[in-house]
Amino acid sequence: MVNAYVPKTLEDCLKLLNEFDLKIVAGGTDVLIQNRAPSQLAIGYKKDVCYILQIEELKKIYEDDQYIYIGSAVSLEEIMDSMIVPEILRNTILEMASPAIRHTATLAGNIANASPAGDSLVTLYLLDAEIEIRSMNNLRRMKVSDFITGVRKIELAKDELISKIIIPKFEFDQAYFKKVGPRLSDAISKVAFAGAYIVEGKKIKDFRVSFGAVNVTVVRADELEQKIISRTVKDIKKMKETIVSWYEKAINPIDDQRSNKAYRKVVALNLLREFIENLNL
Amino acid sequence: MKDISQSINKVDNDEKISGKAKYVADIKMEGMLHALTLRATIAKGEIVEIIYPKLPEGYFVVDYKDIPGKNIVKVIFDDMPIFTTGKITYLHEPIALLIGPDKFLVNELLKQVKVTYKEEKPLFDWVDSVIHYEFKKGEGFKPKKGDIIIEKSYETSYQEQLYIETQGMIGYMEDNEKITLVGSIQCPYYVKNALVQALDVEDKLVRVIQATVGGAFGGKEEFPSLIACQLAVAVKKIKKPIRLIYEREEDILSTTKRHPSKTTLKALMRNDKIISLAVKVGLDGGANIGLSGVVLSRALIASSGAYTIDNLDVQGDVFRTNTVPNGAFRGFGAPQMMFAIEMFVDHVAKKIGKDPFKFRVEHLAKQGDYTSTMGLYRDPILLEDMINKAMEVSDYKTKRKLFDQKDSYKGIGMSIFFHGCGFTGSGEKNHIKAKVKLKKQGDSVEILIAAVDMGQGVKTSFRKLVAHILDIEIERVIFNNPDTDYVSDSGPTVASRTMMIVGGIVARCAKEMKERFSEENFIVEKVYEQPSYIEFDEATFTGDAYPAYSWGVNVVEVEVDPVTYQVKLHKTWSVYDVGKAIDERMVYGQADGGLAQGLAYGYLEVMNHKDGKIMQKNMTDYIIPTAMDMPPMETYLFDNPYAYGPYGAKGVGELSLVGGAPAVAKAIEQAIKRQVYKIPVTPEYIMELVNNGKD
Ligand SMILES: Cc1cc2nc3c(=O)[nH]c(=O)nc-3n(C[C@H](O)[C@H](O)[C@H](O)COP(=O)(O)OP(=O)(O)OC[C@H]3O[C@@H](n4cnc5c(N)ncnc54)[C@H](O)[C@@H]3O)c2cc1C
Repeated sequence: MVNAYVPKTLEDCLKLLNEFDLKIVAGGTDVLIQNRAPSQLAIGYKKDVCYILQIEELKKIYEDDQYIYIGSAVSLEEIMDSMIVPEILRNTILEMASPAIRHTATLAGNIANASPAGDSLVTLYLLDAEIEIRSMNNLRRMKVSDFITGVRKIELAKDELISKIIIPKFEFDQAYFKKVGPRLSDAISKVAFAGAYIVEGKKIKDFRVSFGAVNVTVVRADELEQKIISRTVKDIKKMKETIVSWYEKAINPIDDQRSNKAYRKVVALNLLREFIENLNL
Repeated sequence: MKDISQSINKVDNDEKISGKAKYVADIKMEGMLHALTLRATIAKGEIVEIIYPKLPEGYFVVDYKDIPGKNIVKVIFDDMPIFTTGKITYLHEPIALLIGPDKFLVNELLKQVKVTYKEEKPLFDWVDSVIHYEFKKGEGFKPKKGDIIIEKSYETSYQEQLYIETQGMIGYMEDNEKITLVGSIQCPYYVKNALVQALDVEDKLVRVIQATVGGAFGGKEEFPSLIACQLAVAVKKIKKPIRLIYEREEDILSTTKRHPSKTTLKALMRNDKIISLAVKVGLDGGANIGLSGVVLSRALIASSGAYTIDNLDVQGDVFRTNTVPNGAFRGFGAPQMMFAIEMFVDHVAKKIGKDPFKFRVEHLAKQGDYTSTMGLYRDPILLEDMINKAMEVSDYKTKRKLFDQKDSYKGIGMSIFFHGCGFTGSGEKNHIKAKVKLKKQGDSVEILIAAVDMGQGVKTSFRKLVAHILDIEIERVIFNNPDTDYVSDSGPTVASRTMMIVGGIVARCAKEMKERFSEENFIVEKVYEQPSYIEFDEATFTGDAYPAYSWGVNVVEVEVDPVTYQVKLHKTWSVYDVGKAIDERMVYGQADGGLAQGLAYGYLEVMNHKDGKIMQKNMTDYIIPTAMDMPPMETYLFDNPYAYGPYGAKGVGELSLVGGAPAVAKAIEQAIKRQVYKIPVTPEYIMELVNNGKD
């Protein structure tokens, strides 16, 4: 038997995390599956748990001049319905899971779960999203892309909690997310792609692409993006295959029961091609 | 009087929607124990030793040594042991049950069991033929010098039933001797007969009751008899109520699926017609034969599809491999064969430069033609009208032309098919011998048959049928879940036979009851009477393989994404001849559900094994369609009453699955301008075809 704590305030929660070794549970849509037990038996938690969805301070979405802040206990459904959240993120969430799962799952949960196929990560990497991390004695902030270090590996101490997701405000000319799943709802991505750009004059001022499910973590390559930025749209289109070959090296998918290496790679690169072909002045 | 086809609400809507319906998992009994299954962790070998942990008081192991009767699950081909005696023939084969009052503890004990094996090299290649059938029609396949011969091979893979309710049962003892099982089953008497043999007891000491069934699709035809035997043996030993419910992964990993198939077809052409067809079918039976022979024969009989070909040379094999045993699944061999033949006729037409549609119409079966087994298509065949209807409502011709354009990624495909209704050959007469009772008691009438409502609506359609004939309110007709202590053996709920065969007998009972309706209490009892003209020789595959045929046409429109190779279904149009709908909406329900399952078989549902281990072992990895994936479906029914079915009804349940795969595969072919040779046509396969395939 395990103990379950249900703190009502952030302060209580941080105290608990400081005092005990607890598994944080938000929507539980990953945790419960990872700890499933035969039917009719209690969930197979391996240690005491801390349910965080009752903490009011973590349930807000708000903004300032530079950022949008999403509390870590806000459900995916609420994020999807919020008009201040960037459209690309809302569209990403629409492609995740099913209405029932989105009703309870959280964005922080998707981040902390650090799955190579986590859909929101693709867009969060693209948007340079950050997270705020709290513990009883500390408050820090880091990029999502630094927080996730490998498959299910994250930079989080045992007394820490993600309190917010922080999204810098950008005005892209075009930004979209595309999920390639085995079916149209309730499915794990075989490949996911996000791209965004800004054109000024005839030149690309900002160019970003990120890929999910093709490597241990989301693939976004700053150095490659820098090589593309400042070129003209025309040039970029001309050098499409060169750009594709740059990315090819970073895309290292696996074979598994859901798809295969060759498909994932070809489709990831096709999505990049399509993105480049559709760049618009 | 109202037309019987006019829809009414299903009688169990309320109890199912409200959650009141009792499934096995909802049944709790005083002192009930829980059973979990100890399973093999190798695909082939011998058990050397089993070391069980020390069992606390009240905990038990039940294995083959506890079986009083024969250690065989009585199916059609009796080769499945109830518990292994030591020989392991597939991964996850059941070894024993662990049983006790606390399921958690049972599970902990299970983890502590140590089994050591002497492993042998498992066989996965299709080389060990355990059943071989062959027959010829006309002169068989006899090419002459200079004849054109076209040969192609087709493959289909596993399909999993994925009923929402996993396999489950409860067994208990009544009066210290009678063993009763309540289960999620399709065939109460299959289970009962298996129990009698396993327990070696008199018939009356075994009772089987159907609980509400949460989906079956064939998966609860023969498989539940295995669990039932295991549980009955345990109840006999422990004398307490015991429940056994499979976990989802356990269910997927260890229960029967649709047989993977490989089919090679050879056409001998003369004057642009197929003069003769050579057919060679291989099925992967898995580790036990079970029903595989029957699945094979249904596939072979369907080998010329909805077409008449005068000369046939048909052969097929069931291969034994060290993989999970395959078994019954809606369609029963026909989906594999219909995929192969439907693709083949198009491929042949293309090869000889003929319009595939015209080519197919020229070969269509007509009333009076001989079937593949030299039976006769006695009843009218409405295929031409049905095809015209399907073309008209789908705008098939225009679209076909339009989508042929070079950079179109759209496609429209049409399948034309049939399904044989009821058991193959003289199965009904010789093996099943269905019996039916209709009982009048005061104001009400009770239907006493073994047919199971697994969601398809038998409870509604049968009450409606009887009420209609007797001209009384449906509320006065009772139909409880079958209990073998009360109902007669009207046979299994399989093979699209229930309304046509059992309903036919029930209708005869009702007609007699109507004449005597003024009498207070009485029972009318009748047995199946095979139409006298039906004769089938099982040994030589000659004669009428089915008493009647249902027919169908599916048209599917798709679009393939050229960047991701994903298939999007736009719309489907279907036309079916099921004789006469006993309830239109219920037939539409079967039409939509069956087609969804058939389409998904064709483009979506991926299942394979690696070294005998099923790779897609849960709902996350085994992808069935959601409402988002399925397009609008239009369905049209053609009345074509069959003389021996009630109000003319023929088979419905399987027909709508059979044509889905070839229709979607053909639509994809047009969209990508390549030929498809296997299903499911996944994006991965499409990518391969686009990059390497031939037009
Ligand atoms: C049917 C189904 C479909 C799904 N479909 C998709 C899909 O399409 N795409 C996709 O990406 N995912 C999908 N998922 C996975 C899952 O729903 C998401 O990853 C979801 O975002 C997890 O959120 P949660 O709140 O439920 O996390 P939980 O399960 O509660 O937690 C996940 C992990 O994050 C940790 N955690 C949670 N909150 C915090 C916090 N504030 N601080 C620190 N650590 C924290 C937990 O300890 C745990 O390790 C699906 C899951 C299911 C069951």
